[in-house]
Amino acid sequence: MTAPTDHAAWACQPAAVARRGFLRSSVAGSLLMPGILSQLLEGEAAAAVDPLAVKPPHFPAKAKRIIFLFMTGGVSHVDTFDPKPALTRDHGKEIKADHPEIKDRPGYEHIFLKRPQWEFAPHGQCGTEVSTLFPHVAECVDEIALIRSMHTSHSNHYNATLGMHTGSFAFSRPSIGSWMSYGLGTHNANLPGFVVIAPQQTYAGTQVYASDFLPGAHQGTLVVPGETPVANVAPRIPSPQQSRELAALAALNRRHLGDRRGDPLLETRLQSFETAFGMQMAVPEAFDLGREDEATLALYGLKRGQTSGFGWQCLVARRLVERGVRFVELIDTGSSNNWDAHGDMQTHVPLAKNVDQPIAGLLRDLKRRGMLDDTLVVWTTEFGRTPFNNTADAPGREHHPWAFSSWLAGAGVKKGIVHGATDEHGLRAVEQPVHVHDLHATILHLMGFDHEQLTFRHAGRDYRLTDVHGQVVREVLA
Amino acid sequence: MSGRRRAATLLRCWGCVLGLPCVAFVMLAVASLLASTPSAVAADPSAEAFFEKEVRPLLVNRCFECHAGEKAGGGLSLETRDAWAAGGESGPAIVPGDAEASLLMAAVRGDDPAWRMPPDDAGPPLSAAEVAVLTRWVAGGAFDPRVATASIGGMSEAEARSWWAFAPLAATDISGGPERIDALLDARIAEAGLPVSGPADDRVFLRRATYDLTGLPPTADEVEAYVADPSSDKTQRLIDRLLASPDYGVRYGRHWLDVVRYADTAGENTDRPLPHAWRYRNWVIDAFHADMPYDEFVRLQLAGDLMRTGEPRERLNEGIVATGYLAIARRFGHDIQKDRHLTYEDVIDNLGKTFLGLTISCARCHDHKYDPVSSEDYYALCGILESTRFAFPGCEPQGQPRDLVPLASAEEIAAAREPWERRRAAYEAAVAARAAAAEAGAGEPAEPLPPEPGPEPTFPLAYAVAEAEPMDVAIQLRGDPEQLGEVVPRRWLDVFGGDTVAAEASSGRAELAEWILAEPLAARVIVNRVWQWHFGRGLVATANDFGSRGEAPSHPELLDWLAARFLAEGGRLKPMHRLIMQTQAYRRSSLASTVAVEADPDNRLLARFARRRLSAEELRDSLLAVSGRLDPSAGEAHPFPAESTWTFTQHGPFEAVYPTTLRSVYVMRPRQRQHPFFAIFDGADPNASTPRRETTTVPTQALYFLNDPFFHEQAEALASRLIAECPAPPGGGSLAAARIQHAFSLALQRAAAEEEIELLGGLVGEAAAEDAAAWAGLARVLLASSEFLHVD
Repeated sequence: MTAPTDHAAWACQPAAVARRGFLRSSVAGSLLMPGILSQLLEGEAAAAVDPLAVKPPHFPAKAKRIIFLFMTGGVSHVDTFDPKPALTRDHGKEIKADHPEIKDRPGYEHIFLKRPQWEFAPHGQCGTEVSTLFPHVAECVDEIALIRSMHTSHSNHYNATLGMHTGSFAFSRPSIGSWMSYGLGTHNANLPGFVVIAPQQTYAGTQVYASDFLPGAHQGTLVVPGETPVANVAPRIPSPQQSRELAALAALNRRHLGDRRGDPLLETRLQSFETAFGMQMAVPEAFDLGREDEATLALYGLKRGQTSGFGWQCLVARRLVERGVRFVELIDTGSSNNWDAHGDMQTHVPLAKNVDQPIAGLLRDLKRRGMLDDTLVVWTTEFGRTPFNNTADAPGREHHPWAFSSWLAGAGVKKGIVHGATDEHGLRAVEQPVHVHDLHATILHLMGFDHEQLTFRHAGRDYRLTDVHGQVVREVLA
Repeated sequence: MSGRRRAATLLRCWGCVLGLPCVAFVMLAVASLLASTPSAVAADPSAEAFFEKEVRPLLVNRCFECHAGEKAGGGLSLETRDAWAAGGESGPAIVPGDAEASLLMAAVRGDDPAWRMPPDDAGPPLSAAEVAVLTRWVAGGAFDPRVATASIGGMSEAEARSWWAFAPLAATDISGGPERIDALLDARIAEAGLPVSGPADDRVFLRRATYDLTGLPPTADEVEAYVADPSSDKTQRLIDRLLASPDYGVRYGRHWLDVVRYADTAGENTDRPLPHAWRYRNWVIDAFHADMPYDEFVRLQLAGDLMRTGEPRERLNEGIVATGYLAIARRFGHDIQKDRHLTYEDVIDNLGKTFLGLTISCARCHDHKYDPVSSEDYYALCGILESTRFAFPGCEPQGQPRDLVPLASAEEIAAAREPWERRRAAYEAAVAARAAAAEAGAGEPAEPLPPEPGPEPTFPLAYAVAEAEPMDVAIQLRGDPEQLGEVVPRRWLDVFGGDTVAAEASSGRAELAEWILAEPLAARVIVNRVWQWHFGRGLVATANDFGSRGEAPSHPELLDWLAARFLAEGGRLKPMHRLIMQTQAYRRSSLASTVAVEADPDNRLLARFARRRLSAEELRDSLLAVSGRLDPSAGEAHPFPAESTWTFTQHGPFEAVYPTTLRSVYVMRPRQRQHPFFAIFDGADPNASTPRRETTTVPTQALYFLNDPFFHEQAEALASRLIAECPAPPGGGSLAAARIQHAFSLALQRAAAEEEIELLGGLVGEAAAEDAAAWAGLARVLLASSEFLHVD
């Protein structure tokens, strides 16, 4: 629409003739989108309103990006990363515990210790013990700082999963990935800053990667493994046609912007079409494993042409961080058929097999490319599993918020160490316990943030990822 | 800290991100300031001298490092008499006159080395002389002149009583019209020396007003008629027409649904559908449409069932449905009964923000840090909710829904059921008799079976509340439902007088509505919302927070004038819309000089009109309207699966998207899995009150315009419409040009300029005139354009 003439004197007048010339050439389809709009816009003005512009952290840090590996359902610590010989010794012994999962639960008046189901052995130079469920990750222990004293605040999947992602165990809050995107911005305008790759939704649904009250640009972009991993990325019309339409759209929007120049609302919108256009190419390129060599595919246990599976997720994660994505979360499975082994611990076998080689492959691949020096890899689950059950021979284990294992590897992390310990039966984190908030504080620290200072003012209060808690676990810092 | 303890602290304390442990607040119920004012009570001069000379310095030097200020260790502050009398987590610290029974003495003596005070890392134990001083002090009655400054929550009583938002409305003369508003605005603009934007032209104004009141674009005919109308009262008639439209109810109802965080699912771990919640949604839309007085609107939502008792069934039903406001509160966790304290918090949080612009819910765990709300206040309100029976949406461990309220009397239900039950009994008896006869080998009986009883009579249900056994509840210490403190009677907030629920036989919901409405704050909050819905920003920018952490009003005098006027108009919104929309401020152009924008970037002074992007709902509805596919009828229930088939678990929660061409307010909005379209375009998060939509501009929105199937469908429908409605150029000329003109008039409600026809003609090509695909391309460009997407 044209401006009332009484404002013409104030409005910045674009060079109408030159513009018309440009419009003609762009409509002819001879120009592609990327770059055009940047030239049209005052570059600085666009950057000033871009919530994803790169920002420095509070202090210099080695880690520039994160790959966050989340195992859904509650991985049994005593069967994977926390060896408990005493649990084998005392198998079948009755114990007492004021445990949230057995309180007032019929049939759980008596509980008995239940031995680990897999053998443990020391690995690497450091000798960290890992069970036979993770033979490939076991070979990487010299890169890993294993925390055996994790604990959390809730024994429900929903709440514990929400807590692990947002620091809140009940209410929707911004996800850790959104906080990172908010704190650091992103390097590649053609890709989102925070990507979540998950075959299914985990517990708590979209809240796990929601930006909540942080600006929407920090929302995690969900990628579902498969032929079309990102929604609306595949062009629905032939590329030359789309280019012509976008050029016409840009021209029309430029006319509209004419005397509305300086309005960030309109200018970022023009910019966003350019980004989106770029994403149509950058996203498939990032997700196309065609140029990866056989050796690399083999590292992740991938077959050529495969577009799903955790190996695919891991390799795509490497490609995404390589291309500037700030935070990539990989979720291994959805809210059913996961690590929630109430019925049978043997269901851990295929789940571990699904992730073990890909995770080891990811660590090795990052290392050989020098990327492990500035990439932080986090492996965790929402809680552990009980070292007891209502009969010693019950085949499964219950939810266990009192103790579980997580690990860190890569930028800024001490290599080949074990931090903290559970008691002899793996019931409680007793030495140097690390709460979820402490893990969050540590991750933020590794990324260069004081977790008490990374705040956002919302509804009259300054919110942070760690609520009013959290202590950096200094012992795992290199 | 054990997992359990940790859980308690953590669950109760979120939302109070102050960098402080929660326990710090528990014992600060009375005071946060250290006061040295001597007590008014005459004191023994020697006791006073002993305290000042010996005791006070000792406490300050040896105890205050931990037991003072906000981080008082173990919740124990030794700063005032009241504080140590209340004590910390272990109970009162001092029993005046009894040193043996005083925990403080046991601690400083180190009776149990593990509990010795000060602890090892805070200094050496007290000397025998120091212990003797304290022993003498306590044994002698523990005279302590230090009293707390009276405070309510986070404000001193004096501050609270004089807080601007709680004060009586300042406006005395409520006469005048839109010019009164302009005078108040213009004075501030002149003071700031800001250049003022001129009036928007007719077309811009019509589009602005139409989107504002209906959430839809005007039609080209409406634009033409309005622009051509020479009469002086055309704006007034336009506003009247728009206000009378049912679309007004849809648009303003949606605003309200944002604030009350309306959702179609419960939000607990399985996110169950709420198949009957839509009645409340539609009631809100109808109430706006009918311009229900605001006081009635508030009363019905809190206590409609009580207000309408004894009235004709239809009126009573309306009252019941309106209490859906309370029922739609979010449910939490696995067993929602166990986590119902969180649902109560959600209700109290929402009603505080919605009706009073107050953040009350902080007080679940501790007195409000900044505003005058105490924990007692919170649990006094909690009692009202505990005395209320909420519709139960079901949850994984507790099965299917119950406690929904039938919209029919017991007599009506009985009258309909009785004949059906008779038929059923007769039928079943006959079937049984026949089976018995067959078993006995008696053969086929002569008389035929009676007719089958037919379907069981059902009655419409409301997702609403009802009265429960009235009861007061105990304070939950630090918000932990397992640690109970004193029982608090059901009453109103102390700062507003603290009236108690009079009739022991009721929950107190009816009283609550009256208490809210008695506060001038309630009128300030709603007129501020109305202002924000028109201008994009409230006179108080934080529409849900009129407390000390909110923003001060930009035009306090105007806010009070509007509030007073609103009350004088009977609390009706439509006269306020007329008043506001006829101001010069509302008419202003959104174009402004760089100087003006830089001087007032947030447009607090309204020297220009704030351009805005369409909301998610407006965008979707506009796409459907322009493509000709919008179904303008009112939506009702969603096509949820039948309740009898529900087997939702946290492993397999409810999840659905139901496509529809109804207006967006009728689209099913789940809590756990945001509807993808509304997630992209900043729709309201139904998990919490949304006082104001944020506007983000992210590439996923642009990707939507590039490749989303729904968007492409609408563009293709618009293309078909163009071809059908403009088969040949009127009066010869170019078909492409004529059709582009038609496209502009449908999508942008204006004529295309020569340059634009040239530009888009190049895109379509004359040869492609009958080619729907080419016209779909043109449609996509217009429907993705900044002009389509923004309101000037």
